[in-house]
Amino acid sequence: MATQAAKNLAPDFKVADMKLADWGRKEIQIAEHEMPGLMALREEYKGKQPLKGARITGSLHMTIQTAVLIETLADLGAQVRWASCNIYSTQDHAAAAIAAAGIPVFAWKGETLEEYWWCTEQALAWADGKGPNMILDDGGDATMLVHKGAEYEAKGVVPDADANANEEWKVFLGLCKRSLAANPKKWTTVAAGIHGVTEETTTGVHRLYQMQERGELRFPAMNVNDSVTKSKFDNLYGCRESLLDGIKRATDVMIAGKICVVLGYGDVGKGCAQAFRGMGATVGVTEIDPI
Amino acid sequence: MEGYRVVTMDDAASQGNIFVTATGNVHVINHAHMKAMKNEAIVCNIGHFDSEIDIASLEKYEWDEIKPQVDHVTFPDGKKITILAKGRLVNLGCATGHPSFVMSASFTNQTMAQIELFNNYKKYENKVYILPKTLDEKVARLHLAKIGVNLTRLSTEQAEYIGVPADGPYKPNHYRY
Repeated sequence: MATQAAKNLAPDFKVADMKLADWGRKEIQIAEHEMPGLMALREEYKGKQPLKGARITGSLHMTIQTAVLIETLADLGAQVRWASCNIYSTQDHAAAAIAAAGIPVFAWKGETLEEYWWCTEQALAWADGKGPNMILDDGGDATMLVHKGAEYEAKGVVPDADANANEEWKVFLGLCKRSLAANPKKWTTVAAGIHGVTEETTTGVHRLYQMQERGELRFPAMNVNDSVTKSKFDNLYGCRESLLDGIKRATDVMIAGKICVVLGYGDVGKGCAQAFRGMGATVGVTEIDPI
Repeated sequence: MEGYRVVTMDDAASQGNIFVTATGNVHVINHAHMKAMKNEAIVCNIGHFDSEIDIASLEKYEWDEIKPQVDHVTFPDGKKITILAKGRLVNLGCATGHPSFVMSASFTNQTMAQIELFNNYKKYENKVYILPKTLDEKVARLHLAKIGVNLTRLSTEQAEYIGVPADGPYKPNHYRY
């Protein structure tokens, strides 16, 4: 699929298979029982609509759990458009259920890099040529597209990718070039309309602090990752369970007796090391930091 | 102090059976490391981006897709290693990510951050902020009943003794948990 200038689609979503929507809805209902914090917010703000008027573009793994987040934001009054933040991370039944609920979502498992950035662009494209007024980001790709797009518009030119640049960067610059040719003010206008971004993960937060230091941030950012109830739980206990889930579903390999090496001993690395040890592996870690 | 051996990848590459990257950095597993690995070693990444394993350095070799997101790569000497999710997030590429309960904590933070920033953005400069500790503690509280937690409540005497409000926040901002 060629990347094209974002426009309003009919229907206003793109997912793998709408026949999966009923299955997705059943799993969303089960997940709601396991997500007491989100359900408590729905109860606390019932009838108050604290996000009324918010146009939120989300770029975050389109899973069943994310579906519960999206429907919480909608329940609190927000309009939402969504894309996944990884080409492999979408659960197609979750995306279908969200599309069936009338929320524009652009995500399927196994996107190409071209398709991935097309989806991100669609999630940022609201009716009447408007952009979002809020971004909910995971890894910072939506924020990067708005910032880099506006930066290239100010310069009037998009640079060519180095010969050594990775494939994704070439795709990204290609999108920026087409966008600049079609509308030389698009991202500048979108950026000016955004009140702020909330960022989910370590990597995206790292990017935001770098932009802050260089004075490049065009709107305020909330670092969600460094809430204690995020990084000391999701990064640690989440990975402690989902790492082995991934390795087992992929390979069915026995962990006990293996020598496992975890590179990086941050919250994520700690969770991975615990998981391997819990299964009876011999665990080594690599780290650069003496503390 | 947890009992793990701290090693370098140069030393560990030829010893390990399973490798996971979680650094947020670039090429922490490089071509030389993968060349040194044992036959049938498994290599995967759980950091956000696919930069941590130098997958591009393997493109010249033979790839055999066992199933989606599981590939066997054969080196010229016949050795094979298994690459999961082509170096992207293994937990989301090969499984379905974290369980709901822990994501509820993360996403409750996200929702409260959206509410705060959307309603009060004029109070913020173009900088990076974190949520106040009162909200962090609120997120935790909303998850306690589900897992049967009975927190102890500070008495007035105890609260005064350690100098914190009985309803929190309980730790100074510099406390690291």
